[in-house]
Amino acid sequence: MTATLPTAWRSVLPYLSEPLPPDRTPPGSGGSGVGVNLPMELVRQSVLPREYWTIPDEVIAAYRHFRPTPLWRATGFERAIDARVPIYMKYEGGNISGSHKLNTALAQAYYYKRAGVRELVTGTGAGQWGTAMAAACALFGLRCRVFMVESSLRRKPYRGVLMRMLGAEVHSSPSGLTEVSGQRSTPLGNSLSLAIGEAVEYARNHDGVAFCIGSGETYSILHQSVIGLEAQAQLTELDTQVDAVVGCVGAGSNFGGIALPFHAAAAAEGSTPPLLVAAESSTAPKLTRGVYAYDKTDATGTGPMEAMYTIGSDYPIPDAHSAGLRFHGAAKVVSALRHTGDVAAIAVGQPESLDAGRLLTLHEQVLPAPESGHALAAAARLATTGADGMRAGRGVLVCVSGHGYLDLGAYEQLLNGELGDEAPVEEALLSAVAGLSPVYGDRVPAAVAGGPA
Amino acid sequence: MTAVEQFDRVAVADAVKRVVIAESRLSVDPATITETEPLVGELLRVNSLGFVGMLVQIEDVLDITLPDDLFVGRTFKVVGDLVDVVLQGAEASR
Repeated sequence: MTATLPTAWRSVLPYLSEPLPPDRTPPGSGGSGVGVNLPMELVRQSVLPREYWTIPDEVIAAYRHFRPTPLWRATGFERAIDARVPIYMKYEGGNISGSHKLNTALAQAYYYKRAGVRELVTGTGAGQWGTAMAAACALFGLRCRVFMVESSLRRKPYRGVLMRMLGAEVHSSPSGLTEVSGQRSTPLGNSLSLAIGEAVEYARNHDGVAFCIGSGETYSILHQSVIGLEAQAQLTELDTQVDAVVGCVGAGSNFGGIALPFHAAAAAEGSTPPLLVAAESSTAPKLTRGVYAYDKTDATGTGPMEAMYTIGSDYPIPDAHSAGLRFHGAAKVVSALRHTGDVAAIAVGQPESLDAGRLLTLHEQVLPAPESGHALAAAARLATTGADGMRAGRGVLVCVSGHGYLDLGAYEQLLNGELGDEAPVEEALLSAVAGLSPVYGDRVPAAVAGGPA
Repeated sequence: MTAVEQFDRVAVADAVKRVVIAESRLSVDPATITETEPLVGELLRVNSLGFVGMLVQIEDVLDITLPDDLFVGRTFKVVGDLVDVVLQGAEASR
């Protein structure tokens, strides 16, 4: 396969049928001044409806170490699930971080370095983002500090070791180093938003330090478009097309990266896009059971309130192996497209997703991350019996967002029959979203049904 | 001569004030806003979220590209702070 590395990212912003709802200032914020802790290019990428953004030469050079990533027809997986249509998989696990997260980590580290920042601090759930940030900081000569969800770090200590090998300082969150970690009263809490909150607070209180985030921000999703752009070229090389594109969703960068270039291309051509299917965890079902409302992006509540499909930032998401999917809300770009019906969603439970991962391991010799297992399970449904009225008729493209070599404990539980699911009960969801302001209308829907409203 | 080379402080201040007034949803003459006017005060009501969009608008209005290193880690309290940094950025992009 000879597909080349794209030289520009492609934004979906010019192709939204409605403008993104503006962010809102959180209650109680304000003060004597204003500021922005983003390099200007990331600001522009967040708000300007420009379609193509040239990838800086330094970032291209870094991408060349691992991109283009492979895409192939997963015939072994197809046979294992008795698929009716071809399934093509795009594999993003073949870099030092083990996931797609490095695509935006490199870009962000480059821009922050140019902005004069000396240290980047971040929060991470599964550890993939933290590892990617540590690697990117090492490459661009920045210090790196990572707050990692305690349960995840305990479960995957080697993530922490790898980040430290890459030069990062790693804190288990709640760390006790920040006020927000001390204020947290529930033992479960929304643990990723707390880790992010710790990073936000740490950056605010230290000179030369900036907080960075790698999933739901519009610029992160832009950087991830390199995945979908490559996949489009690779499918063309194979002289084939798909009518369904699937990626897993924590906040939305992997899904956005694989799927939104297809939306942009179809909108530009005036053609019908493939079905774009976001595969989420049934423990954090914002796109299938959440509401479209303004909610916090982190536990400090000092960041902007964004329009998102959410199950409530205060909802205590149960512990699960797919830490990368344990986030309460979807990115505002993904949420806007969900609201307009341009994005569909499927919630997948833990046993089903890990079993899909087991099948991929057995039949394609690729060990996927548990997060990716959700996308594989959704792809399997689309390629066989269908799901929620959706079924692929020509072919499915699925993104395997990362490898699962540090998740073998989860697979061990699967093999031992010890895995369970903890989908939220309706009352808990209703309670968690009760105080939120809906994006449209004047009150949050009484039923937590999710989906395009 | 580029657009940037023609800028002086008066022109930049006028452009910045117009954007700040719009962001605060006011209908006042820019000349009535002094450079010591707080960005977050009785008259102007700029917040950090609007500030992001304002920067892009200022680039568009003045046809300049503001450098990445002008904004990270900085707090802007009065209109003059913003005028200073935009002038600095305009100079750097010449």
